[in-house]
Amino acid sequence: MRRTTVILLRNPLSMLGVVLVAAVVISAALADYIAPFPEHRGAVVDFVHFNQGPTARNVMGTDLVGRDLFSRILYAFRISLLLGVVVLAIATPIGTFVGLLAGYLGGRAEFALMRLTDVFLSIPPLVLAIAMMGVLEPTLLNAMLAVTAMWWPWYARLVYNITRSEREEGYVLAAEVIGASTLHVTFREILPNCLPAIITKMTLDMGFVIIIASSLSFLGLGVQPPTPDLGSMVAEGARYLPDSWWLTVFPGLAILVAVFGFNLIGDALREILGADQ
Amino acid sequence: MTPLLSLRHVSKTFGSGPRAVRAVRDVSFDVSRGECLAVVGESGSGKTTLANMILGVFGQSSGEIRFDGRALPSRRTLEHRSAIQLVQQNPLSSLNPKRSVGASIRLGLDVFGIGRRSDRWRLVENALEEVGLPGDFRRRAPAALSGGQCQRVAIARALACQPRLVILDEPTSALDVLVQARVLRLLDGLRRTKGLSYVFITHDLSVVRNVADRVAVFRSGELVECAETGAIFENPRADYTRRLIGAVPVITDHELKLRESLSGGLPA
Amino acid sequence: MSAVLEIRDLHLRFRGHSGVSEVLHGVSLDIRAGERVALVGESGSGKSVTARIVLGLLQELPYAEVSGGLFLEGADLNRLSRRQWQGLRGTSISMIFQDPTSSLNPVFTIGAQFAEVLRRRDPGLPRGAADERAGALLRSVSIHDHARVLDAYPFQLSGGMNQRVVIAMALANHPSLLIADEPGTALDVTVQAQTLKLMHDLVERSGTAVLFISHNLGVVREFADRVFVIYRGRIVERGPTAAIFEAPGHAYTRALMAAVPRITGGGPPEPNDGETAFLDPMVVHEGGGA
Repeated sequence: MRRTTVILLRNPLSMLGVVLVAAVVISAALADYIAPFPEHRGAVVDFVHFNQGPTARNVMGTDLVGRDLFSRILYAFRISLLLGVVVLAIATPIGTFVGLLAGYLGGRAEFALMRLTDVFLSIPPLVLAIAMMGVLEPTLLNAMLAVTAMWWPWYARLVYNITRSEREEGYVLAAEVIGASTLHVTFREILPNCLPAIITKMTLDMGFVIIIASSLSFLGLGVQPPTPDLGSMVAEGARYLPDSWWLTVFPGLAILVAVFGFNLIGDALREILGADQ
Repeated sequence: MTPLLSLRHVSKTFGSGPRAVRAVRDVSFDVSRGECLAVVGESGSGKTTLANMILGVFGQSSGEIRFDGRALPSRRTLEHRSAIQLVQQNPLSSLNPKRSVGASIRLGLDVFGIGRRSDRWRLVENALEEVGLPGDFRRRAPAALSGGQCQRVAIARALACQPRLVILDEPTSALDVLVQARVLRLLDGLRRTKGLSYVFITHDLSVVRNVADRVAVFRSGELVECAETGAIFENPRADYTRRLIGAVPVITDHELKLRESLSGGLPA
Repeated sequence: MSAVLEIRDLHLRFRGHSGVSEVLHGVSLDIRAGERVALVGESGSGKSVTARIVLGLLQELPYAEVSGGLFLEGADLNRLSRRQWQGLRGTSISMIFQDPTSSLNPVFTIGAQFAEVLRRRDPGLPRGAADERAGALLRSVSIHDHARVLDAYPFQLSGGMNQRVVIAMALANHPSLLIADEPGTALDVTVQAQTLKLMHDLVERSGTAVLFISHNLGVVREFADRVFVIYRGRIVERGPTAAIFEAPGHAYTRALMAAVPRITGGGPPEPNDGETAFLDPMVVHEGGGA
């Protein structure tokens, strides 16, 4: 772990990833203190300063009802991160559990679990989420549910493949010969060997979840106004391009920074943890 | 006295119909208490299938395996599992890279309920010391150990379960020759001090010559020849055994002479 | 007689995250025409990296530092461009690896791979002519149903058959040097013994020089004319095979021999410890045409 940290900080690209992600996390956490207009996260109207480009007062300009874009982007990071964390916190354990059992038990359990996974994988992810959101109310919670439903099968596949190859290793036979339970073999023996790959994928996925969630709200199916969300901000501003460019460019850049940061760290982890195996 | 392990007409067939593979065919042999029986054969001889049946990884298709006078059930009791232990060929893969050496050894103690809970780490350390490693190695990860040390840990793990029979599946063939010599001496010493029985699976006849009491030669799932080690190396009966002996690489003229006389001019 | 291969004071260092590790500390070795020379050592001794350096493979790695003289039939290999060095592989220098089945490409037939090998020396060789030459080469390794073998994929043949194919391929372009890295270790003992004997006869007939890399003293004794014993990146003993096996001079060589179990019996071998003496200076046995 210590070695991982050292290598992560030594490589300039992964260092950039750490800086970007740290910036996003800190601005989300301390939005109340950093934001020049914390009250602009909600339904506030300021007709004096509406639809203005970047100025000294509003560094990223204001939106159509005069709210400070910079403040709203800081709060939008909160929603994005929350969504990413919650989605992965639910999808990863489900996928891991399914993948471990299917990979280790084999036979009928494998057939049933992996075909179920294939059903989910065969539907294009955004289509599945849109269909779910069409049935459900478009709220933050439901957006999380929809994204989770399309995310866990990828973890099931990943963990299944690793488990299939680890199952052939001598240490699994050794535990089986001693008579260790299925739960022990899967969770105590095999799972630790899957963790590097899972952690790497989670880091990479943080970025992708943010994009998918933004796409949903871009289509009006995710977080609803007045809650600030990067995707809906881009969608709203897109109608006023190119004149009011700041309405789309700054939220767009914010998405880019967050996704890029997580991807850089994910790539670095893949190299470090992959080399460990 | 009844033998510790006894196989009678044991067969194992994988699959069915025309594609069935008869991995082991009608094999019978005994292992007495304190004896080291070498199981010798090349790839496809069925020796690993044989080991897996004795361990209960899968059952035999027909025939009977008796342990200590009683038939082994296909679902093994805890008692049977602890009494028959395994040491595998590849020491690095047989230890979980993500768990400490101590945790791997302790697993058997927990499963079989050996010793009091509070005592078990001490038992783990004792097991490590028995195989010539310091007790505090229990905190180490397998990656921090050499191949020979890993194999000692694997032996300690088997011994901690208080077995009566240990299946040694090519225990030294992945090791360098200097390390192999030390592990062979360790195994030989442990057998004598603890009164263990070994089924020593190997393809290396020069190892067999020096550690086994009796030798069973397998080919394509069949038992070709089974005799005292001395008899096998003085008067091999089967042509196949002669061929195996003829293929052993030797380093002294003395051995060369013996090999030439035994392989009897058969092409290697 | 001139040397086919001469290695002079070869050093190898790897740069890693945890600093620099020195793998070879000045290895010198020479092979004369038609000679079979064995490099014997345990895992991690540096025997396989030495072979890879001769092939020019390690020099391409960014984290490896190689220095020392390398001469093939008098020509300085270090002066070659990467491309020229690549051109030597499969023509002037060929190699046989541990596992024959995995060193053949599973998606091409033996015949296609053979043609590929022959075209290294003879570009534009038509397939028909290639098959004819391949057939003759396969006969030289005692494969008589060569038509079937040429049409087969590697996985359809036994390990021993693949090993013969690999030997035939390695000698197809009449290399001046054959490097054999633990050949046949992945095979059964009887098959290994057969193919080693076959290889021995073939190189003897064709007069090919061989660098034979192995950890198995018994195999080395049967195959090699001269032996170099390597321990932790240093040659500790060298000389004609018979001299070394009759009177090993270095503490490490003696320990290795003591550790080999004998088929004449005598109980588990007793390795004489005293690893400090393993770093003693090199012992040289004269003779063997030196």
